[in-house]
Amino acid sequence: MKFISSSTDSALTLEQWQAARATATGPVALQIANDYDVELLADDLHRFSRIELQFPKWVDGRAYSQARLLRARLRFGGELRAVGEVLVDMLPLLARTGFTAVQLRAGESEAAAREALAFFPGHYQGDVGESRPWFLRAAVAAA
Amino acid sequence: MYSYTDFDRQFVHARAAQFRHQLERNLAGTLGDDEFRPLRLQNGWYVQRHAPMLRVAVPYGELSSRQLRQLARIAREHDRGFGHFTTRQNLQYNWIPLVDAADVMDLLAEVDMHGIQTSGNCIRNITSDAFAGIAPDEVVDPRPYAEILRQWSTLHPEFAFLPRKFKIAISGAREDRAAIGWHDIGLQLVRDAAGAVGFRVLVGGGMGRTPVIAQEINAFVPWQQILVYIEAIVRVYNQFGRRDNMYKARIKILVKAEGQRFFDAVNAEFGRILTLDEGGREHLIPAAELDRVAAHFVLPEGLAEAPARDIFEGAAPAYRRWLERNVHGHRLSGYRAVTLSLKRAGVPPGDANHGEMDAAADLADQYSHGELRVSHDQNLVLPWVREADLPELYAAAKANGFATPNIGLLTDMIACPGGDFCALANARSIPVAAAITERFDDLDALWDIGDIDLHISGCINSCGHHHSGHIGILGVDKDGAEWYQITLGGADGSTLSGPAQAGRVIGPSFAADEVPDVIEAIVATYRSERAAGERFIDTVRRLGVEPFKGPANAQRTLTGNAAVQAQ
Repeated sequence: MKFISSSTDSALTLEQWQAARATATGPVALQIANDYDVELLADDLHRFSRIELQFPKWVDGRAYSQARLLRARLRFGGELRAVGEVLVDMLPLLARTGFTAVQLRAGESEAAAREALAFFPGHYQGDVGESRPWFLRAAVAAA
Repeated sequence: MYSYTDFDRQFVHARAAQFRHQLERNLAGTLGDDEFRPLRLQNGWYVQRHAPMLRVAVPYGELSSRQLRQLARIAREHDRGFGHFTTRQNLQYNWIPLVDAADVMDLLAEVDMHGIQTSGNCIRNITSDAFAGIAPDEVVDPRPYAEILRQWSTLHPEFAFLPRKFKIAISGAREDRAAIGWHDIGLQLVRDAAGAVGFRVLVGGGMGRTPVIAQEINAFVPWQQILVYIEAIVRVYNQFGRRDNMYKARIKILVKAEGQRFFDAVNAEFGRILTLDEGGREHLIPAAELDRVAAHFVLPEGLAEAPARDIFEGAAPAYRRWLERNVHGHRLSGYRAVTLSLKRAGVPPGDANHGEMDAAADLADQYSHGELRVSHDQNLVLPWVREADLPELYAAAKANGFATPNIGLLTDMIACPGGDFCALANARSIPVAAAITERFDDLDALWDIGDIDLHISGCINSCGHHHSGHIGILGVDKDGAEWYQITLGGADGSTLSGPAQAGRVIGPSFAADEVPDVIEAIVATYRSERAAGERFIDTVRRLGVEPFKGPANAQRTLTGNAAVQAQ
């Protein structure tokens, strides 16, 4: 997980991207709202180096689904960055749904965030990093 | 019952360690109360009127005697000595100081227990039929599926912050004892014409401010596909459920608003997961995994069928009553399930003190292979009782106060902890329940009245399931005073109650002191109007609520006629 201290690198809004789409060259960073249907981006994904997903409130979990779909369904390979109200205890969820970078809310401790990633020996259901649920991994280990 | 693997055990200990880390940061001031709140909720910790409340998960209601003894120990050493069994088959403590919280989670982890997802806007602890695996009318044992679902839903990274809480119930019998129509997802195990097992899937049920009955979204999802199907439902809900108003955030509102479009979206998403997603098909349940889990739910060791006997032969009247109400049929010849009633005078419905928990654990060891169940109507069940042991068990249950022969009767009421404990409640439930229990203390009268579901909630959050009571009592707040709205004709979906539906309000709210008189008047009306052998709910269905209104309103001594005239 990459920790971004402050956003010096700007990202295009969806409107800006749509305006620039025909002429833009090189990789682009995009920021989208958490109610946007990410599957609509399918044809353009190869042009994005980074997609920023938003947490307007940390308890609004829509961006977890967006991230999971971008990775598991659309195979997006660039950076997925969590922005907005991003707190220490979200880290395990962010990591497992495919985020690779976070910009923590001001005042959040990066050290505590790293600690938050380290508690579990594994998980039951598959996720972006490990697509197999525990029952498949356990079966392989037992075989 | 399910026994934890090393991985399961490491997992709950890890969860306890994670919680300790969060609690310590909170107590040290580096994790603010607002940010700690959703985290503690997802471990079962609420902050209540007097102290935090801890809700411990009892997955699909199965409990071992060892676990119950540990729950007793926690009550004794960290609470004021008691716990409250809930309609969702969980156990709640009301007096544990928050500074003890992490230690209590460690004690729970010692016996493979936890509070994971017993609160918060996530997939909650999954409930089922208290008679799962033993009921004579069972089609498929729901417990292996409930356990697989428990594991899948535990700390699901995508669905930890849904718009609102999300409750799943599973039934595998012909009789619905899990009120599946009242859940966000209701699952009914069925067999198709070829004998293959699958789920009839209902979605969009819920109580609260807007009671809604779940609708069928799929008549048959093969069991192998159920995790993926539920993932599709929850993902559509996570994306499109309302987040602007917590009273409109449950999936029932989305299903009502979108109707067929919601169903189409779920079915399309289901197809896309299976065809497109990395990891999609890997969540199809392999037969080997079902077999592995199902192996935990075979018969307890040492249990052998015996010739059935006439348990009523020579039974004295009091014992006969207990046999009739508290002893239930069993799929095994020579065995019965026995309900230990937690509905007795002077004690809030569903409460048990530490001594009673220890006593129930002893009874389970002696008569039920160390297993118990928590029932949806807040009693304990011993699932493996030999018919030959019934007289002895009756005496032992009676000595411990568990033998009130009232299961299914009016005093076997469901009630939430209400305003005595709960910070959300508008009104108290416990004194109302106590007053009604006292009023109907005559067993002969109680038996003559027969089967009635009486449900009491202290507020519209409906933890006491007032909507589904044949008689429902809802605490409401008006100008800072406690009032009670009475409904008639609600149903949980059982054969006795009829298809799940919400009860109808009979008039303006009553004062607390009027409630026992009102209940008595309603019951008296039933007794005078009923046809021979007709049960309360059938009389209400036949006559409607009108004939009950007059006698009920005649009991107004405090609210007076102003309330009625204002109607």
